[in-house]
Amino acid sequence: MLVAQILINGILLGGMYILLAQGLNLVFGVMGVVNLAHGAIITVAGLFTFWFTTRTQQNPLLLLPVVFLAMLAIGAVLQRFLLEPLAGAGRKSELLSLMITFGLSYVLVEIGLNVFGSQYVSLPYLQTTWSVGGLTVNEALIAAGVLGATISGLLQIWLHHTGSGKSLIATSQNRIGAITCGIDVSRMRCIAFALGSSLAAAAGVLLIMVMPLAAQTADSLTILAFVVVAMGGLGDYAGAALAALLLGIAQSAVGYYVGGDAESVVPYLLFIVFMILRPQGLGRAAQPQ
Amino acid sequence: MNVEPEAATALPQQRPTVLRVAFPSRRRPARRALVGLVVLAVLAAAPALKSGYVLQLATDILSFVAMACSWNLISGFTGYVSFGQVTFFGLGAYTTALIVLHTPIPWYLAIPIAVALAGVAALLLGAVMLRLRGIMFALGMLGLARILTVVIANWSFAGGAVGLTLPAELTPIAVYAGTWAAALFAVGVSAFYLHSRFGLSAMAVRDDEAAAVALGVDTRRVKILTFVLSALAPAAVGGLVAWNRSFIDPASAFDPTMDLQLVVFTLFGGIGTLWGPLLGTIVLMLIGEQLWAYVPDLQLALYGGLVIVVVLAFPGGIVGLANRFGWLHRRPILAPHAFPSPIVPPLPPQPVPAGDVILEVRDLTVRFSGIVALDGLSFSVRRGESVAILGANGAGKTTMFNTVTGFVMPSEGAILYAGQPVDGLVSFQRARHGIARTFQIPRLMISMTVWENVLLAGANGRLSRHAVEQTAWALHITGLAPMWLDPVDRLSPGQQRRLELARALALGPTLLLLDEVMAGMTRDEQEEIRDVLRRLPEFGVAAVAGIEHVISAIADISDRMIVLDHGRKIAEGVPADVLRDPVVIQSYLGDIG
Repeated sequence: MLVAQILINGILLGGMYILLAQGLNLVFGVMGVVNLAHGAIITVAGLFTFWFTTRTQQNPLLLLPVVFLAMLAIGAVLQRFLLEPLAGAGRKSELLSLMITFGLSYVLVEIGLNVFGSQYVSLPYLQTTWSVGGLTVNEALIAAGVLGATISGLLQIWLHHTGSGKSLIATSQNRIGAITCGIDVSRMRCIAFALGSSLAAAAGVLLIMVMPLAAQTADSLTILAFVVVAMGGLGDYAGAALAALLLGIAQSAVGYYVGGDAESVVPYLLFIVFMILRPQGLGRAAQPQ
Repeated sequence: MNVEPEAATALPQQRPTVLRVAFPSRRRPARRALVGLVVLAVLAAAPALKSGYVLQLATDILSFVAMACSWNLISGFTGYVSFGQVTFFGLGAYTTALIVLHTPIPWYLAIPIAVALAGVAALLLGAVMLRLRGIMFALGMLGLARILTVVIANWSFAGGAVGLTLPAELTPIAVYAGTWAAALFAVGVSAFYLHSRFGLSAMAVRDDEAAAVALGVDTRRVKILTFVLSALAPAAVGGLVAWNRSFIDPASAFDPTMDLQLVVFTLFGGIGTLWGPLLGTIVLMLIGEQLWAYVPDLQLALYGGLVIVVVLAFPGGIVGLANRFGWLHRRPILAPHAFPSPIVPPLPPQPVPAGDVILEVRDLTVRFSGIVALDGLSFSVRRGESVAILGANGAGKTTMFNTVTGFVMPSEGAILYAGQPVDGLVSFQRARHGIARTFQIPRLMISMTVWENVLLAGANGRLSRHAVEQTAWALHITGLAPMWLDPVDRLSPGQQRRLELARALALGPTLLLLDEVMAGMTRDEQEEIRDVLRRLPEFGVAAVAGIEHVISAIADISDRMIVLDHGRKIAEGVPADVLRDPVVIQSYLGDIG
C-alpha cells in the first residue's frame, strides 16, 4: 500500500515535471540553447500567481491562460532583443547564449526577490485530499499533474499534427534543411523561445499549488528541468516524459524513506550519474557498439 | 538505400564553443607590464593606509582576483565553463575550519593542508566530471555545489545548517598577505598558460578537443590538471575567509552568487585572457563598492544585466576593447622574433618500428546502431608504400581512418601497427607513436596563429628548442612560412589544407593518413602538395594511406589502390589495373549502358 502511495505521488509529481521540462526541451531543440532562466520564469510566474490570487481571491486556474499569453509576448520580446542577435555567431553562439540566459536568470530572480520577498510561499488551493481504498491523494496534486500532462499532450499534438508545429520540429532536426524548405528559421526560434517561456510560466502557476516556492528556488528548478531533458536525451520528448516520471517516483520514494533534504538532492545526483553512465539519454541506443 | 555512414561516423562534431578570444600579436609587452605594476603597487600600498576599510576592500578584491583567475583557467582556457567553482571555496573553508577546531594545527598550516586536499578532491572530481561536456559540465558543477551544501547542512560534525563559529584570531594583515599569495599564484598560473606549450594544449582543448587528440595532446591530462590548478586558489581563499570572518555556514560557503560574480568579472574583463579576470574584478568591485550603498537590493540584477550587456555589446570585455587599440594582445607561444632561418632539418624521426608491414587491418567491422560502416575489411600497408583508398561517398573510408586512429572503436577485427595490436593505445598515444592523420574538413585551432597550430603537434615529447625547429621545418616544407603568424581564418581553403598537412608532419609520423588532402584545390596547389608527398620518405614517413577523390592527382604517386564500397573492399592492386576494373567503374559510375 505504501509503495502504491509513493508510486501515485511520484507519477503525479512526474506529470508536473513533464510540463516543467517541455519548454526547456523546445528551446534547446530549436535554438540549441539551454535556457538557464527557465527556472526563474517558473518561479516568478508562480510567485505572481500567489501574490495575485491571495489579493483578489480569484481561482488560480483562471490565471493560467492569462499568464501563459503574457509570457508568450514577453518571451518573444526577450528572444528578439537578447538572443536573436547571437543566432548568427556560429559555434560561439551556444556559449554566449548560455551566458545571456545565465544573466537573465539573475535579473528575474532579483525582481522576484524585490517584489515578492524571499520567504517560501505555497497557494492554499484545492487542499482537500481524496481517499480511495486507503490511498490518499492531494486534490491540488491531481489537478496540477493532470493539467501539466494535458498541456504537454496539446503541445505534442501541435508539434506533430500542424504545419507550424512540424516546421518547428524540422528546424530543430536540421536547420539548414529547414531553410532549404522555405521555413523562416528566425521566426521559428522566436516562436520556440516564446512558447518555451510561456510553458515555463504555466508550470509555475501549477507548481505553486503543489510545492512551496521562493525566488531563490529558481536555480534548482532549472536544474530539475534540465535533468529531465538530459536524462530523456536532449530533444527527445518521449524520453523526457519517461525521465520525468522516473524522477518524480525517485524523489517521492527518497523523500519518504530518507527525508526532504535528500529529496532535493535527487535530481543533481541522478543527473551526474546519468550523464556519466548514459550520456545519450534513456531512449536512445548507445553510439558505436 | 545508400545511408551516409561517413556522416554518421565522422568525429563527433563537437566544436567547443568559444567566446571571443584575444588573438595573439607580437607587440612588446612593456605597456602591460607598466599597467600591472601600477595595479600591484596600489593594492600593495593598501595596508600602509592603516585603514581597516581599505585593507578589507583590498583583501576582498584580491580574493576575487584569485578566484576569477582560477575560474578563467578551466572556463576560459580549456573552455569547460564551470558554474560550480564555489565548491572549492567551500571545501577550503570547511576543511580549514575543521582542522583548526579539532586539531592543534595552527591556521597558517591548516590552510595549505586544506588547499592540498582541495587539489586531491579536484583530481578525483575532475576525472569524473570532465567526462561531461559543455552545458552538461557547467550544470554538473552547479549540481555538485548544491549536493555539498545539503551534505554539510546535514552533517552535525561540520556544524550542520547552523554553521561553525571559529576562535576569533583576527589578524587582518596576515589574511591580507595570504590572499595576496593566492592571487599571485592564480595570476602566475594564468601567465604560465599564456606562455607555455601546456597552456597551448589547454587552448587547443577549447578550440577543438578531438583535433587536439589527433595531434597527440593528452587532453584528459590537460583538462584534469587545469581543473586541479583552478581549485587551489579558491580553496586558499575559502580558508582565509573562514579565518577572517570567524564563522562559516553552508549557505555562505557554497553561495551560488559567488559563481555569478566570477562569471561577471571574468566576462567583463575578457575571458580566456591573462588580464581579463584581473582588470574585470578590480574595476567592477571598485564600482560596486560605491554603487551598492545606493542600490543594496539590486546587486544580482545589475550583475545579471551586465553579463547580458557585455555579451551583446562587447563580448571580448575590457581586453577585447583594448585589443582594438593594439593593447594587451597575447603573444604567440614560443614564436621566435623572426621565422627561424636557415631551417634546421628535423631530428631524425622516432625509429621506424621493425617489420615490413606498418599497418595491418584484419577483418575490421564497425557497426553504428544498425548501420554497418565497415564490413570485414582487411588490408595492409607496407614500408615505403603509398596506398590510395578510393570509394564513393559512404563507402566507409573515413570510418576506417577514425578506427585506425582510435576515434571509433571497432565492433570486430584487429588493427596492428608495426606488428603490435593498437587496442591498448588511446587516440593521442597512437598519434605520438607515429600514426598521424589529417581531417577531411580542416579542423584548425581558430584562436591560434598558423605557428601555434603546428607547434601543438611539433611540441609532443620534444624539448622546446627542438619543438621550435620541428614546427619551423613543417611550415617551411608546406610553403606556409610566409604567413606563419597569421590567424588561421585568414588562410585560403588550400592553405588550410596545407596547414592540416603541416600539423600532421610536425608530429614526425611513421604512418601518415591523409583524408582528402587535395579536395577543392587548384591544380597549382595540388602540384605543391604532390611535391611534398613525393618527398615524404626523406622526412622519415615510412608509409602513406590517402583517401582521395581527385584520382588524376594520385594515380601516378600511389603504389597501390584499395577501393571500398559499402564498407567492403571491392578491388585492390596497382592503379592502372584498379582503374580499369569493371566492378570499380560500376561502383563509381553505376551501370553504364
